[in-house]
Amino acid sequence: MNSVDPVEVFRQEASELFETLEGALLDLCQRPDDRELIDAAFRALHTIKGSGAMFGFDKVAAFTHEFETAFELIRRGEVKPTQELISVGLAAKDYIRALIHAPETVDSIIGDAILDELKQLVAPGIPAFESSPDRPGAVPSEHHAAGWLLQLEFDAQILRNGSNPLDMLEDLAKLGPCFAVPITTDIPLLDALEPEDCYLKWEVTLSSDCDKAAIEDVFMFVLDEMKLGITPLARVELPEFAPLLQEADSEPPPSATVPVSAAPDAAAAERPALPAEPRREEPKRNEERGIATVRVQAERLDELMDRVGELVIAQARLSQLAATGSDLSIKLIAEEIERLAASLRDTTMGARMVPIGSLFGRFRRLVHDLSRELAKPVEFVTTGEDTELDKTMIECLADPLVHLIRNAIDHGIEDAGRRAAAGKPAQGRIELSAVHAGAQVLVTVSDNGGGLDTRRIRAKAEEQGLVAPGAALTDHEIHQLLFHPGFSTAQTVSALSGRGVGMDVVKKTIENMRGSIDLITRPGEGTTVTLRLPLTLAIIEGLLIRVGAGRYIIPLSAVEECVELTAADQRSRGRSFLNVRGGLVPFLRLREVLQMDGAAEEHQKTIIISTGETCVGLVADQIIGNHQTVIKSLSKLHSDVTIFSGATILGDGTAALILDVGQLVALAQSQAEKLQMNEAA
Amino acid sequence: MQDTIKSRRSLRLPADCSIAAIRGVHDQIREAFGGQRPFEIDCSDVVKADVTSIQLLLSTTMTGAAQGRSVILKSFSQNFRLILQRAGVLRAPPPKHGSKDKASS
Repeated sequence: MNSVDPVEVFRQEASELFETLEGALLDLCQRPDDRELIDAAFRALHTIKGSGAMFGFDKVAAFTHEFETAFELIRRGEVKPTQELISVGLAAKDYIRALIHAPETVDSIIGDAILDELKQLVAPGIPAFESSPDRPGAVPSEHHAAGWLLQLEFDAQILRNGSNPLDMLEDLAKLGPCFAVPITTDIPLLDALEPEDCYLKWEVTLSSDCDKAAIEDVFMFVLDEMKLGITPLARVELPEFAPLLQEADSEPPPSATVPVSAAPDAAAAERPALPAEPRREEPKRNEERGIATVRVQAERLDELMDRVGELVIAQARLSQLAATGSDLSIKLIAEEIERLAASLRDTTMGARMVPIGSLFGRFRRLVHDLSRELAKPVEFVTTGEDTELDKTMIECLADPLVHLIRNAIDHGIEDAGRRAAAGKPAQGRIELSAVHAGAQVLVTVSDNGGGLDTRRIRAKAEEQGLVAPGAALTDHEIHQLLFHPGFSTAQTVSALSGRGVGMDVVKKTIENMRGSIDLITRPGEGTTVTLRLPLTLAIIEGLLIRVGAGRYIIPLSAVEECVELTAADQRSRGRSFLNVRGGLVPFLRLREVLQMDGAAEEHQKTIIISTGETCVGLVADQIIGNHQTVIKSLSKLHSDVTIFSGATILGDGTAALILDVGQLVALAQSQAEKLQMNEAA
Repeated sequence: MQDTIKSRRSLRLPADCSIAAIRGVHDQIREAFGGQRPFEIDCSDVVKADVTSIQLLLSTTMTGAAQGRSVILKSFSQNFRLILQRAGVLRAPPPKHGSKDKASS
């Protein structure tokens, strides 16, 4: 078993806190008076600071402290969270993230500049923001007590959350001289001690004329994790100090040995430092702590999936052996193992599923920044955040979506003048959605901008020599040129887009994920790009077919139905449409596509596959049956073979290629459109 | 109780005694704590400490007291001393100026 690096755990937790912080800051743009959002941002900052200090990220702790101090003015309502302030806050968040994840790339000048800007925005000329031991919390109020008696009792779990009671004691000391007396009565003996729990309590005498709110401020982030007693004192009398621990070689040495019974409790005789009898406590069990989730390293999930993949292949071999033999008991065991392997596969794949909302959250920031940069107000709407997708897919999807959203804002949404002229509201709209469709997930980016300019795309393509002038092309084919490497219609090259790099990368990435891209555009109304993705990259249900001597897999999720090719259809040459219940479906003869020699089977079968709205028939010699398909990548040598998306190992140890449904549909579509144009001509 | 250096069991605490490492330190102390001899804990190497390490030392001394054994703490490092003082379990040096006046005013 690999040991878990606590620093890595902190990094992961910090990533989640950054998401919370960023989400809260972005929401504050819309709801600047929302108290809960301000508190949420504060809690995230405070935890990052505390945990950072605990795990040795001193620069993180120091910077976050300054950031937190600045935002304290917002929390108190003294400063409004303006757009500018939120933008600087987001930059500060990015800086802290860099300090944690790539400290070697961080220049402290940037951090100083961010803090300077924060200071300018939140407290120009207010010395309270300056880091100093005398915090603004010490402002006296109308309630003038000579001092306060505080009882501090923390929840057992508080230390695990990154909170540090000693920091709070230190913050209290900034309000005035204070005397903390630790109460040790709850500390168990060694065998029963849970070393990460908090047992210590304190009774603190604070000599300060500060108000009660200033004291509560010190504990504001842990108030729901502690009991805080605050009693005003008319007169402050600091108790005698008596140490609970003494050093054997300290001055003056009362004794070389220090049994605790010799160390009197400091404050009062009624709180004995030692229990009369040793207490034995059973360690808390996990169920009692209510652990419902476990954090698992992503690599372990990948390893588990690999093992399951190997198991599925071995199981297929066993099933094949059992099928060819006559031993009934072996057949029964093979069936049982097949059932268990399928169940284990589903469970493992379920454990890898992550809500796509974790990815969508990142784009809110992107839209926020681009919208400001391009001076195009944009409403960003997301739906289907709960839609689950394999974690590997989520990771691969991030870059393509960044490109698509950038394009939508930069090229899709018109500037204010053009929107006004078109009678559209000044604020553009970009919608990012996800939805399950069978064994696929459809991720859609749509905008209500000007739509694609088909004529301009064509003109640019002719200018770049991508198509011959006057060549017969459908709108679909013209739009597909956008995915050609280096193609761009942008008249100016900006930092965002216009260099022609991006859409081809998007297409390649999506195709590598065995997905496809649909693009629908309406002039003046906007563009919708739909990414069709499989749920997982690891194991799929497939339909095993035979064409000539070769065996191939078609992803079962794409299969609509199987029909027999009629004798008339088999004889026909040139015509490539099937009549399926009155509808015409184009079909491809796989023997021709795969360039198989020899005569075809007498009774060929047609597998009707679909990708969304388009159905295509694939003619094969034989349909063998369902097959659990563990996907193996093709080697680099086969990277230019587009109609296969991978390979798998069959039960007899031979390999079968997996057909890329999207490519086959595009091929059939292209053939059908050409046929129609020829007929029209 | 007379005890010599040889008759003591001893343990030197590691540099990291913070919550990130405290479970391991707890295990070390429990392992070293067996027997009836006085138990000596050398705190000279401690760099990182927090509430958990304070509680662990207090629990150790309480356990020693419950079993009638001496627990000897020696050579607090500067960092550890400061942490203990902040928690109020060790005497802090007298304030140099200012705070005492303010307290009594």
